[in-house]
Amino acid sequence: MALEIPKMSYNGVIKEIPLGKEANPVIVGGETSYPFYLFEGEMPHPPKIAMEVYDAPPEEWAQAALEPFADVINDPAAWAQKCVSSYGAEMVALQLASTDPNAQDNSGEHAVEVTKKVAAAIDVPLIVLGSNNLEKDTEVLKMVAEACAEERLILGPVTEGNYKALGAASLAYHHTIAAGTPIDINQAKQLNILLGNLGVPDERIMVDPTVASLGYGLEYCYSVMERDRMAALTQEDERLQFPIVCNLAKEVWKTKEAKLTEQEAPLLGDPLKRGVLLEAMTALLLLLAGGDILIMRHPDAVQLVRGFMDDLMAN
Amino acid sequence: MLLIGENLNVMVKRIGQAMKDRDPQPIQELAAAEAEAGVDYIDVNLGPARKGGEELMAWVVKTVQEVVDLPLYLDTTNVKAIEAGLKVYKNKQGKAVVNSIMCRPERMEAQIPLVTRYDAGMVALLWGPEGMPRDAAERGVLATEILQRAAEAGVAGEDIWVDPIITPLSVQQNQLLECNQFMSELDMIAEVLAPGCKSTCGLSNVSNGAPDHLRPILNQTYMIMLAKLGMRSCIVDAFDKDLQDIARGKRPDVDALVHQVMDRNEPDLGSLDKEAQHYVKTGKVLLGHSLYSDSWLEL
Repeated sequence: MALEIPKMSYNGVIKEIPLGKEANPVIVGGETSYPFYLFEGEMPHPPKIAMEVYDAPPEEWAQAALEPFADVINDPAAWAQKCVSSYGAEMVALQLASTDPNAQDNSGEHAVEVTKKVAAAIDVPLIVLGSNNLEKDTEVLKMVAEACAEERLILGPVTEGNYKALGAASLAYHHTIAAGTPIDINQAKQLNILLGNLGVPDERIMVDPTVASLGYGLEYCYSVMERDRMAALTQEDERLQFPIVCNLAKEVWKTKEAKLTEQEAPLLGDPLKRGVLLEAMTALLLLLAGGDILIMRHPDAVQLVRGFMDDLMAN
Repeated sequence: MLLIGENLNVMVKRIGQAMKDRDPQPIQELAAAEAEAGVDYIDVNLGPARKGGEELMAWVVKTVQEVVDLPLYLDTTNVKAIEAGLKVYKNKQGKAVVNSIMCRPERMEAQIPLVTRYDAGMVALLWGPEGMPRDAAERGVLATEILQRAAEAGVAGEDIWVDPIITPLSVQQNQLLECNQFMSELDMIAEVLAPGCKSTCGLSNVSNGAPDHLRPILNQTYMIMLAKLGMRSCIVDAFDKDLQDIARGKRPDVDALVHQVMDRNEPDLGSLDKEAQHYVKTGKVLLGHSLYSDSWLEL
């Protein structure tokens, strides 16, 4: 008797979300099976890689991360262009890190100006992320949403504390939301429900589950994403059938292991490769957990992950 | 379902102050009110009671027993305070119950002898050397161990109340399923070691973290489930009238609905009124048929 490989049966589908310019949208989502289980279902839109750009020259970055962008760190628009034209970024993620009141505390006007310049410089979808300061993000992202009305941005993190203000702004000015919750599947579902109640249509919602770096709690994020996809695909949990955004690079590159120099940590190996490998491994695991958009930093890490993804999709 | 009133608790500001001042009046009033409300036992919760716990427990037990005849649960982590309470306790309508004895060797060695010495009952709390059990099997292992030790010491099955530890639905949905699984196996485990053994639980833990106004329906629905799985008692708010009605079998309609959900045989939501829909939805979320969110009743 021939061996019959058991197959999982799914009853849910991840929603397809069109991102970016209306004429030339990039679609994410649409999965009908667990990630890369192509023998059980389809991934009509393979996961996408968004590359990071910062709104002000980064401080305290590891040499390895700084090197590829040394010529553009003072010019976010040029930085974004470089990500797209030199490294093939499918999206750009603008980190408004300098608006953080605990950093430079740059104004909403500054954020608007940078966002407009970056948006004008690229054709690919633009993700705009706050500094994770609830009050400042609410103020800054609201201004950005309004000032960039026709850009169809992806705005995040939109949280339980500011979903009304940012949900309404996204609705009014046609942006998409990255709904952020702190590694908690129940809260992720709840926020999606609240956004729905507010009138945000499903095709404008994505989930940002909060992710960590390899070695710093990644396994918890993995479990939450896994549970998210189980509920979405096998329990018909309609409020979890959304693509997942993983804002991973800033987590990886702030770890001690990614930043230590060779003199500081001679046993940890070549510092130019170390951070790249940490980033690539983290991204890879998040891909396997169900990530649809990976927000990454280093071009070499991007290339490694892309190669891996191509292999998985070739089956 | 037997009910144990949880209200006499050092954490309640008025009661904590009265305990500190040795002022009998608020304590006696509350105990009498709990008895009046119809609970079967009164839990006397002193918390950790590290300083002066012995004297305090003896005083509270005497104070309460001056006005009520109901049996008491003596609730503190201070072992000596428990003994002091047992020493002065008078069995009027039932034995005092030690709440609780963890499944940790040093705890069992110290506390089980008290239970036999003072002819009391005991809560066998399934909290092991490594903390909280992770699934039904670990609960089974812990239960086997403590029941065996208690039986060897001469504690009768009917004097043991196994507490499987209830976890909040909002953060540990799967753990509740493990708890349910264990409850369905408890009689089988107890049959050999401690026939007639009972069970108890801190019911309101299930709704911890859920929006306040939705906690009652969670508590009520889960109590119905636990009852079907053999749970004998719950530690509850003595003044929750709706919960008590259900415990006393006055809501057979609600019981039936929840049982149908448990049997995967629930009626079509469209055929039900709003209240019945809520019980069905709550039953489904408690059983993990759908993932918990604070808005589970609106979906």
